[in-house]
Amino acid sequence: MRALFKARRPVAYWLAISWLALIAGLGLLGPSLPLPYSSSTADLLAIATPPSAPHYLGTDALGRDVLAGLVAGARRLVSISLPATFLAAALGAVLGGAAGFWGNTRLRLPVAAAGGLLAAGWWALALPGQLLALLLALGSSLWLSLLLWQKTPRRQPTIALPVDSLVLGAGTLLGAVPRLIMLVALAAGPPFTTYQLLGLLVVVAWPEPARLVRAEMLRVRVQPFIEAAWASGLPPGRIWWHHALPAASQSLRSLVPLSLAGLIGLESSLAFLGIGQAPDAVSWGSLLAAARQEPSAWWVAAVPGLALLLTLLALQQVATAAKNR
Amino acid sequence: MRLRRFRGKRPIAWLPVRTSRGRWLLVRLARAALAAWGIASLVFVVSRLLPGGPEQFALDGAGEKWGGASAGHVAQMQQAARQSFRHRLGLDEPIFYVTRSPAPAGWHWHGRHNQYHRWVVQLLHGGLGQSYRDGQPVGAALGRALAYTLPLTGSAAVLATGLALYLALYLAGAPGGRGRALVRTLLGGLQTMPLFLLALLLLLLLANPDGLNLVPAGQVPNAATSSLSQVLSYWGPRSLLPLLSLVLAVLPSLALPLAAALHHELGTDYATTARAKGLPISRILRRHALPNALIPLLTTLTELLPSLVAGTVVVEVVFALPGSGRLLAQAAATHDYPVVVAGVLLTALVRLLGLLLADVLYFTLDPRLRPLA
Amino acid sequence: MRYYWLGSLLAFLTSACSTPSAEQHQASSPVHIRWARDPETLDPQTLSNQNAVDASNLLQLALLQNDFATGGYGPALVEALPRVQLLGDSLTLLDYHLRPQAAWDSGQPVLATDVDFTLKLMQCPNLPNEGARVQFSFIRQVRLDPTDARHFTFVCRGQATEFIVSSGDYPIISEAALDPGHTLRKLSLATLQDWPATRAPAPAVAALVRRYQQADPARHPEHLPGCGPYRLAAWDTDRQLIFQRKAHWWADALPAAPAVLQARPQQLIFTILPDDATAALALRRHEVDVYPQVPARIFRQLQASPTARQAFAFYTKSSYDLVTAGFNVRQPALRHKLTRQALSRLFDPAQLMVATQLGQGSRTVGLLPPGSPFYNDSLPLPTYAPTQAAALLRQAGWRRLADGAWHHPAVAAPLALVLRYRTDELTFTAVALQFQAAAAQLGIPVQLLPTEGSLLTSCLQSGDFDVYVRLIKGSSSGYNFAPILHTDAINHGNFTGFGRPDTDRLLEHIATEGNPRRKRLLLRRFQGLLQDEMPILPLFFVPYRLAVSRQLHHVIASSLKPGYAATALSWQAADSLATRAH
Repeated sequence: MRALFKARRPVAYWLAISWLALIAGLGLLGPSLPLPYSSSTADLLAIATPPSAPHYLGTDALGRDVLAGLVAGARRLVSISLPATFLAAALGAVLGGAAGFWGNTRLRLPVAAAGGLLAAGWWALALPGQLLALLLALGSSLWLSLLLWQKTPRRQPTIALPVDSLVLGAGTLLGAVPRLIMLVALAAGPPFTTYQLLGLLVVVAWPEPARLVRAEMLRVRVQPFIEAAWASGLPPGRIWWHHALPAASQSLRSLVPLSLAGLIGLESSLAFLGIGQAPDAVSWGSLLAAARQEPSAWWVAAVPGLALLLTLLALQQVATAAKNR
Repeated sequence: MRLRRFRGKRPIAWLPVRTSRGRWLLVRLARAALAAWGIASLVFVVSRLLPGGPEQFALDGAGEKWGGASAGHVAQMQQAARQSFRHRLGLDEPIFYVTRSPAPAGWHWHGRHNQYHRWVVQLLHGGLGQSYRDGQPVGAALGRALAYTLPLTGSAAVLATGLALYLALYLAGAPGGRGRALVRTLLGGLQTMPLFLLALLLLLLLANPDGLNLVPAGQVPNAATSSLSQVLSYWGPRSLLPLLSLVLAVLPSLALPLAAALHHELGTDYATTARAKGLPISRILRRHALPNALIPLLTTLTELLPSLVAGTVVVEVVFALPGSGRLLAQAAATHDYPVVVAGVLLTALVRLLGLLLADVLYFTLDPRLRPLA
Repeated sequence: MRYYWLGSLLAFLTSACSTPSAEQHQASSPVHIRWARDPETLDPQTLSNQNAVDASNLLQLALLQNDFATGGYGPALVEALPRVQLLGDSLTLLDYHLRPQAAWDSGQPVLATDVDFTLKLMQCPNLPNEGARVQFSFIRQVRLDPTDARHFTFVCRGQATEFIVSSGDYPIISEAALDPGHTLRKLSLATLQDWPATRAPAPAVAALVRRYQQADPARHPEHLPGCGPYRLAAWDTDRQLIFQRKAHWWADALPAAPAVLQARPQQLIFTILPDDATAALALRRHEVDVYPQVPARIFRQLQASPTARQAFAFYTKSSYDLVTAGFNVRQPALRHKLTRQALSRLFDPAQLMVATQLGQGSRTVGLLPPGSPFYNDSLPLPTYAPTQAAALLRQAGWRRLADGAWHHPAVAAPLALVLRYRTDELTFTAVALQFQAAAAQLGIPVQLLPTEGSLLTSCLQSGDFDVYVRLIKGSSSGYNFAPILHTDAINHGNFTGFGRPDTDRLLEHIATEGNPRRKRLLLRRFQGLLQDEMPILPLFFVPYRLAVSRQLHHVIASSLKPGYAATALSWQAADSLATRAH
C-alpha cells in the first residue's frame, strides 16, 4: 500500500489514482447522491434526447437518464465487475499454475484420495448411502491436505492426479459450450442475486488467465531458481505457492485491465439477451448494449465507453507503476 | 536393490509411427477427439433437459388460430399435435442409457432405444443428423456456412497477428513518446468498444450514402449463374468492412500483452548484455526478445481459434453474411438440437486442436518446454 | 512516386464519395424486397413463419387468398366465397366451385380431388404437418359432385363464422404428382383423422409419405407442381430467394382478373438482411426497393433525410397486432376484478404509443380494432389515472399501511408484482418500465423479468407470473377470442386463467353467430365485460410502416401481414404500356 503513494511519480499516475478514487466513490456513495432522475426511470417525453438540461448527458432509446446510468454502472463496477475480474484472475492463476507446474503425472496423491473422490461422486449422484459418502470425502480431503504440505515424502502407493487435463478440460468445456446454451440453461432458473452473478462471471472468465499462467509456468518451471528451490529440499507446495506462482503471474498484470473490458463486454451481451438482469439494473455494459437500439444517439455509447476507457487506462497506469516501484 | 519403475513415456510399440514425438502427437489427437465427443455428449444431454423444446417454435402460430370447434376438442388436438411432432423427431424416447426419476427414486436402464445411442451410431457412420427446422442435413448446412465464415476470419486472424507484431515492436521500442502513448490509448479505446458497436460504427461511417460510401451499389450475384470475377468483384469491397471490424476488435488483446512481455524481456540480463555489445534495440527486439515473449501471444492466438469458427455472430448479423456464427446462434435460440450439438462438436474439436498446436509451438520456440504427458 | 499513391488514393476516395443514384428501371427489372429472416422451409404444409407463407403464396394458390386492397379474403382458385348451409346445430356445409381455367403447370386442371387429397395429406403421420392438422381438422368430409369435377362441399364439425374463411386458407397440392395411382381415394378423410396414433399407418399412406419425403418440398418446392404465378429460380440460404414469373400462367387468360390473381413483377428477389440498420443502408443504396415493417426509429431517420424523402415513399397503416398487458387471475392478489381495474389504470397507453410508435397506431377499448363495425365506441378508452387506481384499490379492500405497502385481509403477502415479457423488444421494455415507475409512486414494488421466448410461453402457461406484456397477432376476421379467454384453453392459449361458465357461453355464441346485428350486440357486450373484468388490458395496435422506392407503382399498404402486396407492384416504365391483353 505504501508503494502506491510514493512521491516522485508522473502526473499521469496521479490522474489515474484520482479517477479510480472517483469511480470508487461514486460506486459506494451512489444511492445517496442527489440526482434528479433515477437510473431506471423511463422519461417517455424525452426519448433519445441529446445532452442538454435537465438530462445533462442525454437519454437513451427508452428515455433513461445517461448520467444516472453512469453512476449506477459505477456502483455495479465496484460491487461486481472489478471483484469478478480479480477473483477470476486469482482463480485462473491458481488453477493454471497448478496445471503448468504439476502437469498430468507429477501430483501424486495417496490412494485414499481416489476413495475420497469416488465418495464425493457417490454423494453428488444421490446414490444410496449419501451421508457415509460425504463423511468419507471430508476425511480424505483432510488427510490429503496434511500430506501435501509435508517436507519429507512418504513411501506409499500413490496415484497421479491429472491436473493438467482436468484444468484444460474444464476450460475447454466452458469455452466450447455456446454462450447462448449456457445462458438459456441458466435463465431457466430464478433471476440472479449479486453473488450468483459474481459467481457466474468468475466461472465464465477464469479459463483465459488460467491458460496464460499455465503457459508462463511451463517456462518458469525450468528456470534455475526453481531448480535451486528443488535442490534445497523445500516441499513442492511451498515451491509452487511462494516461488513459481508469483513469477508465472507476471503476465497477468497487463491482462487484468483487458479482462475487465472482457467482463464488461460479457455483461453487455448478458444485458443484450436480458438474462439475469432486468432493465432497472443499469450498468455500463447494458448502456453500451442499449446503444444498438438507437445508433444515431452517439452519447449513449460514448459516455460509458469513455468512462470505461479512462478506467482501463487508469488500471494500466497503476499496474505499470506498481511494477516499477 | 529396488528397481525404479520407469515413469517416462513408453512408446506404444504397435503404432505405425516411429518417433516418440510422433506417437505423442497421435495419442494427443486421439485424446482430443475423445474429449470433443465427451463435451458434445454433455451438451446433447443437457440441451434435451432444457424446458421448452423445438415444438414451441414450430407449433407457435398454430395454437392461436383454431377452427372454432369446441374448445376442449382443440386443446386435445394441440396436445396430440405436440406429441406427434416430438415423435416424428424422435424426442419422445429416453435421452440416455440410464435416467434417474424422482419418484420412485432410482435409476432405470433403457438399453439401446434411446436418443443418445442413435446419435452416437449416426456419428460413427459420419452423419450429423438433420435440422429440426427444415429437415436438411446438418453437415451440408454447416459446410455452406463455414465457406462464408472461414475465409473472413482466417484472413482477419493473419492480418491481426501481423499488425499486432508490428505495433508491439513499435510500442516496446522506446519507453515514452507521445506517438506511443497515443497508440496505447487508441488500442485501449478499441478494447473497450463492444464488437457490435465497432461494426455498426464502421457501417455507418464507411457505407453510408450520406457520407463516405466505400461499398459500390450492386446486386447479390446468384451463386449458380454468375462468373468468378463477378462474385469476386461483389464480395471484394463488401468483405472490407467485416474484415476491418474483426481485425480492430481482436488487435488490442494481441498487441498490448505482447508489448508488455517485450518490455519485460528488455529488462533481462541477456538484453542488457546485447545492448552493451552495441546491438540496435530493434534487432534485440526482433531476434532475441520476441521469441521469448511470444508465449502469451501464442496462447491468445490458439484461444482465438474456436471463435474463428463460431464466434462472429455480431459481424455476420450486421453485415448480412450467412455464416456459421449466425447459424449456431439461431439454432441455439430455436432449440434446434442437431445443429447445436454439431456446432459444439466442431468448436470443441477446434479448441482442443488449438491446445495441441499451442503445446507443439511452445516446444518449437523453447525446447525446454517439454510437452507434458 | 509518393504522389502517384496519394493521387490514386484521392481518386479512389472521391469516387467513393459519390452518392448512388437510382437507375431507371425497365418493365422487366426485378423488384428487390427485404426480408429479416430466411423462410427455412417451403413445405406447403409447414409454413412456420410469415416469410414462408408469403413465398408459398407466390408458388402455390389456396382456395381463398388475402386481398390486400380490401383487407379481407378473396377467391383465388374458387369462383366465389363459399355458400354456407347450417345442418342442425353442429354441422356446417360449405359449397365451393373451382374456376374452370385453374390448371397446374402440366396443363391438368385443378379439380376437387386435388382439394380432397390435400386435406388427406394433412392427416398423414411422419410428415411435418402437425400445425396444419390442428388448424384444419374441423373439415370432416369432402363431398364430391359426380356430375361436376370442380364442385365440392365441405362438411365441417361445429358452426362458426370463421369457417367461411379458414376452410380455404391452405395451399392446394396436386394429386397427380404424389399419388398418380389414386391410392388414397379409398380412405376417407374421417378415417384418416380418427386413425389412432399407436396403430401403424395404412400401406397406401406409408408409400405416400415415402414419396413425399423423397420429393423434399421443404427445400425443392419445384418438385411439386404449383398453380401459382411464380416459380422458385434460386435459393441461397440466408442470403436471397429469386422468384421468376411463369411465362404462361392460367390466370393471365381470365377476362377480368381479381386483385388476388394479379402478378405484375417479372422477377421478385427477396434479400435477407437481419439487421435493421443494415437494411436501411441497403435501401438508401438502392440495393433493395421495398422495406416492409420498418422500425419506428429508422422510419423517423429516413423521413428526416431529404434525399431519402425524394427517392422513397413512406406509408403507415395500423395493423391487427395488439400490444396487451394481462393479469394472472389465478393469483390471490389479483382475484378481485377491482384490483385488476386499479392496476390497469397505472398503464399509460397514450404516452407509450407516442414514445414507442411515433404516435402511429391506434388505441382501443376492447380487443377489436377501432375500424371494425363491431367496435363499441360508447366505452371509454383506458387511460393513465393513478388517483383512480388508489381509489379502486381501497374499494377492493386494500389498505396502505405505515410501511408504504398495500395489505389485504384475504391475502397473506403485501401487494408486490412480477412482470414478465419477451426480451429484446424495445416496446415491451418501455411498457414495463413505465408500469414499474407508476406502481412505485403508489408504493407497489414491481419486479421486471425479461424472459426468453420459449421459456416465456412455458412460464405463462404454468401461471408463473403476475402481469405479462405481449403481442396478440390478430386478423381481419378475428372475432373468435376463445383461444385466449375460454376455460378449456387454460393450459394452452389462455394465460390469464380467466373464465366463467357465462363468459364461455358468450364466447361460443360470438363464434357461431352469423347475423351481423346480433353479433354486434354480443360483441359490444363482450367488450364491456372485458373492461369490467379486466383480465387483459389492450394498450395499442402497432402500425405497419412501409418504405418503397418512388419508381414503383401500384403500392398497396395493407393492415394484413406482411403489410404490402408484392405481386401488385410494377415499375414506372411498365405503366407506359397502355395496352395489356389481361
